[in-house]
Amino acid sequence: MNDPGIRPECEVLLNELEELGVDRLTEGEVSSALTGTSRQHAVRCEECRAAIEDFLATREGLLPARELVLEPGPWFVARVMAAVKSTENEIEEKKEGVWISVRRFAPRLAAFAGLLLVLGGTWAMEVHRREAALQVPQMRQAEGLFETVPSAAASDEVVATAGEEARP
Amino acid sequence: MPEPATEGQAEAGEARRGVDRELVRRAQQGDQQAFEELVRKHQGRVFAVAGGILRTREDVEDIAQQVFLKAYFSIKRFDQRAAFSTWLYKITVNECWDLLRKRKVRPLMYEADLNEEQARAYQSKEDGGEYVPDVSERLEAREQLEQWLECLDEKDRAMLVLKEVQGFTVEEIAGIMGLNGNTVKVRLFRARQRVAERIRRKKRAANV
Repeated sequence: MNDPGIRPECEVLLNELEELGVDRLTEGEVSSALTGTSRQHAVRCEECRAAIEDFLATREGLLPARELVLEPGPWFVARVMAAVKSTENEIEEKKEGVWISVRRFAPRLAAFAGLLLVLGGTWAMEVHRREAALQVPQMRQAEGLFETVPSAAASDEVVATAGEEARP
Repeated sequence: MPEPATEGQAEAGEARRGVDRELVRRAQQGDQQAFEELVRKHQGRVFAVAGGILRTREDVEDIAQQVFLKAYFSIKRFDQRAAFSTWLYKITVNECWDLLRKRKVRPLMYEADLNEEQARAYQSKEDGGEYVPDVSERLEAREQLEQWLECLDEKDRAMLVLKEVQGFTVEEIAGIMGLNGNTVKVRLFRARQRVAERIRRKKRAANV
């Protein structure tokens, strides 16, 4: 039994007690039901004799409890199967309830999604337009193919004129 | 593991488990009649297990129904490594303890726990009407049982009742409680010591 309080030599007897049936037993009947080895051990072992007494006292004390054993009524199986069916129906109704809610709110969800798309698209276009407007002055400086570039060219002309004058 | 009492009993047990395996297999495939047959086969023992832990008939019936409902909706996850009966009785024990924990007390069975019909019968007896021994004697027997077992914790109490009152074997109790056989034997041994001492003390006090 692996209990430090129970000696190995007592374990055999205690195991045999546990294997006895549930019938009401006298001390003599318990003794007869044990093996010869256990009977001899019980004669020498005070603790095992106490264990047999405890076994008999508990069995005697709990005998009235056998009258209290409840039996299921003849309707119990039908009650269980009705509860199974009812629970299955509840589960189905819950699943349908979720799907019904989705279907009921679908047009509103679609309208809301459409509105979000429109607003989002408008915002994106506005942002793009503003960015484009900021880049226009820089692009205009190099727009025409035949326009000269003003200030930088003027300084070159001065240098070029000065260089020509310096030539002998 | 303890040896069965006789070979015949072992063979009968194996045959029962074989029938259960087939019924469970069919129930797992959606056969409601197979599940109904399982309920019919095991309702008595489920009542026995619940009745050893709970006090009133109403609680036992409610818990037993709940047990079979749980079994029905989780039977597809049951892998048949243990016997179906062991699995079922485990659910029963756990449901009973959950109920007791929710209530946080271990109520004794009082008149208030009787249903209307029982209360009328009891009252009729009190009023000197037709004698109905069943209800009052059951109350006394129940109260005495409570006195003997109140020194035990829930698990030891359940094990002792399953063993001594319902006739479950050590092996079956070990499977239901999720313990090994040796642990069950030790706990039964200690539980009997406490209960026997209580019985002897009360008898000495009654004789004084």
